[in-house]
Amino acid sequence: MSTFSTERQTPTTSDGLPAAPSGGAQRPPVPHTWRKRRERLTAGAFMTPAVLLVAAFLLAPFVWTIYRSFFSDSRTTPFSWFDNYSLFASDPALARSIQNTLMWVVGTVVLPFVLGLAIAILSNTTRWSRLARLCVVLPYALSGSAVAVVWNFMLTTDGAVNQVLTNLHLDSLAQGWLLTWPGNTIVMILANAWQATGVAVILFLVGLQSIPPETVEAGALDGAGSWQQFRHIVLPQLRPVSIIVIGMSLVNGLKSFDLIWVLTQGGPGRATETLAVSMYNETFLELRPGAGAAIAVVLTVIVLAASWLYLRRQLDVKGE
Amino acid sequence: MTASGTPRRAAAPLARRRFLAGMTAGAATLAVEGCARGDSTSSQPGTTSISNDNATWDEGYRSAGQALKKITGYALRPLSNPSVTSYQQVVQMTLQTSKATDLVKWASGYQLKRLARAGGLTDLSHVWQTYAAKGWVRDATRETVSYHGKVYGIPLYESYYVLFYSKPVFRKLGLTVPTTWAELLHCAEVLKRNKITPFLASQVGGWPAIEWFQELVTKVDPRFYQKLVAGQASYLDAPARKAMDIWHDFMRKGWMTSPDYDQNRGPGAVKAGSVGMFLHGTWQSQGMSAVGMKPDVDYGAFILPTVDSSTPKSVITESGVFAVPAEASSHSAAMANVGSWLAPPVQRVWSDFLQDSSANPTVRSGNPVVARLQQDIAREHRIPLIRYWEASPPSLIQGNTDDLGGFMAGQTSPATTLRRMQERAQDEWAAWRRDEA
Repeated sequence: MSTFSTERQTPTTSDGLPAAPSGGAQRPPVPHTWRKRRERLTAGAFMTPAVLLVAAFLLAPFVWTIYRSFFSDSRTTPFSWFDNYSLFASDPALARSIQNTLMWVVGTVVLPFVLGLAIAILSNTTRWSRLARLCVVLPYALSGSAVAVVWNFMLTTDGAVNQVLTNLHLDSLAQGWLLTWPGNTIVMILANAWQATGVAVILFLVGLQSIPPETVEAGALDGAGSWQQFRHIVLPQLRPVSIIVIGMSLVNGLKSFDLIWVLTQGGPGRATETLAVSMYNETFLELRPGAGAAIAVVLTVIVLAASWLYLRRQLDVKGE
Repeated sequence: MTASGTPRRAAAPLARRRFLAGMTAGAATLAVEGCARGDSTSSQPGTTSISNDNATWDEGYRSAGQALKKITGYALRPLSNPSVTSYQQVVQMTLQTSKATDLVKWASGYQLKRLARAGGLTDLSHVWQTYAAKGWVRDATRETVSYHGKVYGIPLYESYYVLFYSKPVFRKLGLTVPTTWAELLHCAEVLKRNKITPFLASQVGGWPAIEWFQELVTKVDPRFYQKLVAGQASYLDAPARKAMDIWHDFMRKGWMTSPDYDQNRGPGAVKAGSVGMFLHGTWQSQGMSAVGMKPDVDYGAFILPTVDSSTPKSVITESGVFAVPAEASSHSAAMANVGSWLAPPVQRVWSDFLQDSSANPTVRSGNPVVARLQQDIAREHRIPLIRYWEASPPSLIQGNTDDLGGFMAGQTSPATTLRRMQERAQDEWAAWRRDEA
């Protein structure tokens, strides 16, 4: 930051060279402290609307949510200490919700990363790359709800997937894809990967195209095979992009909601709920805002902690 | 330099300021317009606004509103929010503000009790008394619209839970409307043999999971159902176990559609002959007409027979209500309209629109199928039973509905499902009674 400030204060010519010192005939020098104060005030004025909006619509509700989570859901809402948080130990639906959330995190991190990287590498060099890229990226442009509607058409018991299996005389494989756990959660993770892979492909393609070809050529001249070139030359240079892809997928996995809500509404029997769906369910359907607030707090802490731990470690390494 | 000799860059700060000023003015206008949306609930001469969660009924409200206007001078202005969950949130929040609509469509039973308990509703007991004196309401339903002895809702409609069936399909297979349990089983067997799924059962959207539960429990023992939903009997008692075993048996025999079958496809499936019988409220008559089926010609409906012939006959009744917020913008107009809602000229229009039964027992349904059901209910002295969804505290019903959905998907056995429902019932009834105390 100090370097940046110094640069800003050094007058330069249009070609970037330091300008000659200006003569004393120009405007009188502004007192240093006043200029500093004015800059701070200006910066503050620009920041104020954003700070107020964040405080009003993000921080204040968050503080209220933490406060509410310590109160019971009975009519008089007495202070109940950690009773709402103890539901995580006593309510089997919440235990299943945590299981599902973990499955979603693993699925949404691994699948888009692996598929995105593979498709980006394959489509970066092949002749049909543009068409292939378009096909993969297109689902990313769809909303989660629209994706869910399409997959619902395919996955219901009398849906397209089972009809295809029946026509292929594979009736034994036909089943209620959205009815039994953990199969229903797994197919929803796959549906999510179908959509989320597009953005990973775009990011990896940007990363691949920024790799200097000389580095790969130098490896080839030194006798490195294709796999060795990828493993030791390409992959390390994709590290910054990988950090972003994994970081985004991590957070998306933890807060997955729309696809699940449209496909199963967390059912049947609350079997496909993630923490985000449980939070909504407890608050608005079960009419237990205290329990919903406790889930919201736990989910927020997990998202923040996971993001912070992951990004701190990765960005430190990157910034060395 | 420009052609006029004015330095080009000199104009930039002014242009930027104008741009910023324009942006600010635009944002302010949008904000003001956004706030102005609240005007939709404000008083408008000659009308009363209604919060409604079913946009397909808007036309019916307008038509009935014209009939109301001839009596009270006020038409109806529906404001629909088709998402039931967000609708409930909006209504509960606006009840405490000056932005409440004049009339609110709500469910009866414990859903209404919960809303009344939070405050903000007008006591409609005197309106009920007037209706009762004229014979325009059923005394038996008073409890379902009351809280602590005061009436807070006027019946909006009355539907019965029945099995719709295709008359041509039944005729083709030589089936008649079953009047006994044995005849019902025979119908199911014949339909199954002809590759028609006998019964539609679904848990898509959550609440449909209650339909077969309430129907089977009441046809095993209606008095037990009354005690069960009042918290005076256990889900582990014999009638509940028997009902669940029957349901389980139907599923194992492949007599029911898969639980992810969308009910919205029900009328089309009955017409196409892929589903034999569709258990639903009589308000589904509209849906049957929408797929081109004529009442009494293409489709009929009957009430599920009792499991034992000696069991008292009953019918599950669903009744929505009109409630009047205390802070309604046009409170006197709302009271006038709610006081004439059950007048026969208004109910004639409303019932014809719904093709369903009117909440006013003196108004005969224009739909011959529903009219015959009304006759059957009166002739057989069927016990009217409140729908499960409204029959117990909302948190209990919501949780038990989830459990029934899990049972339908094969996640839990009948015994495990009932055990969970009973555990929840103990907790939620204790919580409800604690709150009441």
